[in-house]
Amino acid sequence: MKKKRIYFSWLVLLWGLIFSVLSQPVNAASVDHSLEKVQKRGKLIIGTSPDYPPYEFLVNQNGKEKVVGLDIDISRKIAHDLGVKLEIKKMDFDSILVGIETGKIDMGISALSPTAKRKESVDFSQIYYKSGQYLIINKNDKNIYRDKDSFQGKTLGAQSGSIQSELLKKQMPKSSGRYLTKVSDLILALKSHKVEGVVAESAVAIAYVKNDPSLAYINGNFNLGSDHLGSAIAFAKNSPSLVQAVNKSLTTIKNEHLVSQYLADAGKYMQTTKSNHTMLHYWRYFANGVGYTLLISAVSAVFGIILGLLLAIMRLSRNRIFHDLAVAYIEFVRGSPLMVQVMFVYFGLGMIVNLPALLSGIIAVSLNSAAYVAEIIRGGINSIPQGQTEAARSLGLSERQTLQSVILPQALKNIWPALGNEFISLIKESSIVSIIGVTDLIYQLRTVQAATYKGVAPILVAMVLYFVMTFSLSRILGYFEKRMKHGN
Amino acid sequence: MATNLLEVKHLSQKFGDNLVLSDLNETIQAGEVVVIIGASGGGKSTFLRSLNLLNHPTSGQVLFEGQDLTTLNEKQLDHIRQKIGMVFQSYNVFPHLTVKENLKLAPKKVKKMSDEDADKLADNLLDQVGLADKAQDYPTSLSGGQQQRVAIARALAMQPEVMLFDEPTSALDPEMVGEVLKVMQKLAQEGMTMVVVTHEMTFAQEVAQQVWFMDGGKILEKGTPKQIFQHPQKERTKDFLARVRQSR
Ligand SMILES: Nc1ncnc2c1ncn2[C@@H]1O[C@H](COP(=O)(O)OP(=O)(O)OP(=O)(O)O)[C@@H](O)[C@H]1O
Ligand SMILES: [Mg+2]
Repeated sequence: MKKKRIYFSWLVLLWGLIFSVLSQPVNAASVDHSLEKVQKRGKLIIGTSPDYPPYEFLVNQNGKEKVVGLDIDISRKIAHDLGVKLEIKKMDFDSILVGIETGKIDMGISALSPTAKRKESVDFSQIYYKSGQYLIINKNDKNIYRDKDSFQGKTLGAQSGSIQSELLKKQMPKSSGRYLTKVSDLILALKSHKVEGVVAESAVAIAYVKNDPSLAYINGNFNLGSDHLGSAIAFAKNSPSLVQAVNKSLTTIKNEHLVSQYLADAGKYMQTTKSNHTMLHYWRYFANGVGYTLLISAVSAVFGIILGLLLAIMRLSRNRIFHDLAVAYIEFVRGSPLMVQVMFVYFGLGMIVNLPALLSGIIAVSLNSAAYVAEIIRGGINSIPQGQTEAARSLGLSERQTLQSVILPQALKNIWPALGNEFISLIKESSIVSIIGVTDLIYQLRTVQAATYKGVAPILVAMVLYFVMTFSLSRILGYFEKRMKHGN
Repeated sequence: MATNLLEVKHLSQKFGDNLVLSDLNETIQAGEVVVIIGASGGGKSTFLRSLNLLNHPTSGQVLFEGQDLTTLNEKQLDHIRQKIGMVFQSYNVFPHLTVKENLKLAPKKVKKMSDEDADKLADNLLDQVGLADKAQDYPTSLSGGQQQRVAIARALAMQPEVMLFDEPTSALDPEMVGEVLKVMQKLAQEGMTMVVVTHEMTFAQEVAQQVWFMDGGKILEKGTPKQIFQHPQKERTKDFLARVRQSR
């Protein structure tokens, strides 16, 4: 009864916390140090989602990947004007605004349209490029579709969270929408007729069509509000000094007609990326991805076991505080998705200490795995008969020695298969760190998709690589399992 | 001159409302063999486990060599428990260790004995319990009687002052009871102080100086084996003995 009441008051407290956070004004006014900060650091950090040619995309130059495109050239010019170096942080499109709000990046430049809704959470520069909204279709359908109104009853695709998704929802009410994170996935959906068209910015549409003869584009004839027209750079709220400095550069760019030059450069890169689209050409990307995936999994497995053991012992201890702490931790971690935890460590903790993406990913995956390992170990310890402990203690072994020499060795044997499963799922689930820009296998798969305009082939390669990793691991674990089965 | 090796004063144990041990006052002298008999649930195991504080009594004192164990902390207790060997009905050998490793674990971990010395000690003890040829085997490949002899040797490896046995032969097939009792008998002859919960009357008659009949958390009757087995005074003792004899 009493225990229940304690849990209940905890729940009330948590809900209270949630509401107080939600009701807080997001942007507390503060003194503007934005420009000063960049200059002091000597580095302008930008966030971008490089899957959107010609604005930003990845190219493979002598085996090294490089972000290029209109937005990157503009950023380079801005950094040059500010007299600082440029650092590019690759991240998911959905994460860019969060990155700005949490101070991970100074500005977000990713073909962002300055919508009224976005203006609630970030400030924008002046518009640096205007383009229309087009529809990418299969070339064979060119005679069927004229503009947005000819898609009644059909399914169309758009990038989730993008302005195009808004257009699709609001201005094509008779069509249904499918929303994916990556344009490359949308193109794939189009080619496999999962969708009949993809809403995309004109520059993007042209870029894709130029690189794929089976595609075509048409003007959507959307009714575009004034603020819908074009792209701007996003900044943290209340950073007028930086916005002004950037606007100055943008004005120069406009006056000197630099955008068309930048776009031409981007086009050239797209020519080179087109030249070699075999998967073998990108083996370095995949190898790199496998390396990071293994690194994250291995480090997380080690820390997961250490921390999990600690949590299991805490949960089994007679000390109420230790026990409750462990239970709360385990329940909480198991009760929220790994994805949210990864974002929390990177963006949330990132506001206090500046953690690089890779470290954030490893921390989040380790902390997550620890909760699951703790429960496996606890189950293992409980599966050892009480008589074993009594016999050990009657010989004079301390509680610790008993655990170390008698209980854990036996428990390990019992839980080995379950632990093995946990390690294998670690390899698969660590893929979630790609959302904060850790260059693991999934991330590299996205990169190769964007660079090659190929959807399926990179997926296949990644799938096989994941399988090779998990299967090898399960073989290794099986070998040790057999070796532990002595005497039975 | 007899010395009190073990002594309990006003020892009581409650589990919830269940009074399992009720104000016990007993002494056991060095070199003595005490056999405890009594019906199931009478508190025999609880009493035995109170003697090495595996079970912390609700109230009262447990004195070992004159020292009250109930006042000691866990670390001090670990030190005392080395000197009080215990053998369980379910053997509780360590299945992940070989027979020899079972014997060597505590001397090495607790007494910090060198591997060499522990090895010699283990060989010696395995010889005594007739299992020298099983040293490298894992316990799961042994019979129940053999496992119980390993458990006895394991307890002896700590060179205890007293040995507690809780129904050491109850889980054994009848043909294996003898080999375990033989080891225990030899131990008694060598002067080991022993407290044995058992219903093996012959063993009690041959080895014990005292037999205690325990019932309802009390020592209802005690005396020499002859007194208890042939001339029991209390009705409950008679009933119990009659039942045990009938079940043969
Ligand atoms: N840890 C415990 N918690 C609650 N009750 C217990 C505990 N240990 C023993 N008991 C209870 O105490 C009583 C005495 O148990 P105990 O094991 O000492 O009896 P016993 O004489 O050894 O019986 P048996 O011959 O069956 O082994 C029983 O009713 C038992 O249920
Ligand atoms: Mg018992």
